[in-house]
Amino acid sequence: MNYALFIIKSALEDFKRSKMQTFLTSLGIVIGVFAVIMLMALGLGLKKYISDQFDSLGKNTLFIAPGKVLQGGSFGVSSFLGNRFDIRDLNRLSRVRSIVGLAPMSSKSGEAKGSIKSDYVTIFFSSSDFADISGFSIDKGRLFDKADVSKRAKVLVAGPKIAEKLFGSSVDAIDKKVSIDNVNFTIIGVLKSKGGGGFGGPDYDSYFFGPYTTGFLFDPQKQFTRFAVKADPNVSIEQVKDDINRAMLQRYKEDEFSIVEPSEIMSVVNSIFGIMNIVLVAIASISLLVGGIGIMNIMYVTVSDKTREVGIRRALGARKKDILMQFLVESIALSVIGGAVGLGLAAIGVFFVQNYFPAYIDLLSMSLALGVSSSIGIIFGVLPAKKAAALEPVEAIRYE
Amino acid sequence: MPEIMFMIKLSNVSKSYQVDEETTFFALRQVSLEIKEKEFVSITGPSGSGKSTLMHLIGLLDKPTTGEIIIGEKKISVLNDDDLSSLRNEFVGFVFQQFNLISKLSVLENILLPTVYSRKELNYDPQKKAVDLLNKFGLFDKKNSFPNKLSGGQQQRVAILRALIMEPKLILADEPTGNLDSKTGHEIMRLLKDLNEKEKITVAVVTHEADIAAYGRRIVRVKDGKLVKS
Ligand SMILES: Nc1ncnc2c1ncn2[C@@H]1O[C@H](COP(=O)(O)OP(=O)(O)O)[C@@H](O)[C@H]1O
Ligand SMILES: [Mg+2]
Repeated sequence: MNYALFIIKSALEDFKRSKMQTFLTSLGIVIGVFAVIMLMALGLGLKKYISDQFDSLGKNTLFIAPGKVLQGGSFGVSSFLGNRFDIRDLNRLSRVRSIVGLAPMSSKSGEAKGSIKSDYVTIFFSSSDFADISGFSIDKGRLFDKADVSKRAKVLVAGPKIAEKLFGSSVDAIDKKVSIDNVNFTIIGVLKSKGGGGFGGPDYDSYFFGPYTTGFLFDPQKQFTRFAVKADPNVSIEQVKDDINRAMLQRYKEDEFSIVEPSEIMSVVNSIFGIMNIVLVAIASISLLVGGIGIMNIMYVTVSDKTREVGIRRALGARKKDILMQFLVESIALSVIGGAVGLGLAAIGVFFVQNYFPAYIDLLSMSLALGVSSSIGIIFGVLPAKKAAALEPVEAIRYE
Repeated sequence: MPEIMFMIKLSNVSKSYQVDEETTFFALRQVSLEIKEKEFVSITGPSGSGKSTLMHLIGLLDKPTTGEIIIGEKKISVLNDDDLSSLRNEFVGFVFQQFNLISKLSVLENILLPTVYSRKELNYDPQKKAVDLLNKFGLFDKKNSFPNKLSGGQQQRVAILRALIMEPKLILADEPTGNLDSKTGHEIMRLLKDLNEKEKITVAVVTHEADIAAYGRRIVRVKDGKLVKS
């Protein structure tokens, strides 16, 4: 009989006969691995969410945001304080020669009533440049244009997902009315799917887009949260930043606005995730340490329960290292089963979270879960296994 | 070349335990004993006299405090733990009073267990041999049963099959009938006698019962850790 197969079978046979004990013992590892994988999945999702925000943007895209977005390699506080830009800023920026596309951004969320059903939706209000800057293209119907903006037309372009949800299909949504917070809009176009959402990234396919002037219906102060800008590709990005800076300084102080390149934000995001990973490793170490001690404890009990069995095996010719292997395989199996269950639970958790947030499990976290749990099995199993291997054959066989 | 007359030889073997700082207890004292090839020896004596201790020494499960044990031409005092394990595996087959089958392994797996630990190239297929042995002992239909589903006599037969799977030179049985009724006990003894006579396997049986000891062609008596002349 194959040696390796035989000892693995021996270990699993043990678990079959004491399922509850096996479960409780590996619970520490289950919880540890579950927590770590879940946090990693959320972290990865968040990171993807943020990077996808910038992915579709070309090299020549800049953001102008109120306050200091980045301070000393990290996100500044004032960016969350709710300062806003307005139409004067839009006009000023539109006069900057090195800007070839300008999209103000504001949004409104509310209940949308379609022909089939209703849903809670978000509308992004912007200029006719938004599709070009953000990398959207039209699938059915048309995008809104400058005329729609100047007429304050109550028209919307829908993401394909929300169109299908509210009206059955993209085609059926065209020219239909949709009422959002009691304002009636006409859907003039449906976008091509950008993917994202579901498995990762923001779900652009579930948003509406409309002229910013129309957005003022919901905002008497007529404000914008930020601008997305397309820089003239024939001018250096530094030059464009300079031009924007000069225009903005006419009204604001140095620290009341920021000009951000997507790559800068990504590097900050990456450094934040670096810190997050350290915290994760710390949490992981503590929970896995507790799990490992649980395994060590049960393995000592197992060794003393099986003293007689060790004696029998030694009498039949098992060497010390055979006994060592037998118990080591058992503790590794315990720990890996725990790791696999933790991973499975995390996968289920992520599956449900994905309805709200683009979390996902990557290959690294999977191999980490199984690699770490088998190491735990070895590290915490080796002392009990050594104790078993060191038993004197005659004393073990006399053991009652 | 001188013929080796014994397969295992104990010379002046003692086994003692330190009871406390002043007291040393001798389980065996100055025992010299030879077991020859193809012999059937009974080792008998009252409870606590040191029979099991003697058997554990012969079976290389234990080491003497003083004295030497020689197997073939090898002094066991110079062998390391792995060598002793290999010798137990290939040379000796154990049968115990409490059967000592492994409860979570099936009958077939129990019988095959010694082959799992074997490092020597077997000139037979262990699986096939196990099945042959099961057939011969009328236990084939029990091959996938677990030990706790078997009667005492069946369990002891499985233990004997496990002792036989490696084709050992020597079978050591420590009170093999101690947990069996008299009729089954005698069946087991006849089985061991058969193995000795037909298969030419050396058998040593430890027992405190005179009628069981009577199966031996030679009887070694132990009393208070010493051999007594019969
Ligand atoms: N590990 C030990 N420590 C101390 N005394 C022991 C130990 N093992 C056996 N003995 C003693 O050695 C004596 C002989 O034991 P044993 O060989 O089992 O006797 P038997 O098999 O003849 O009944 C007994 O008195 C027993 O208590
Ligand atoms: Mg005894």
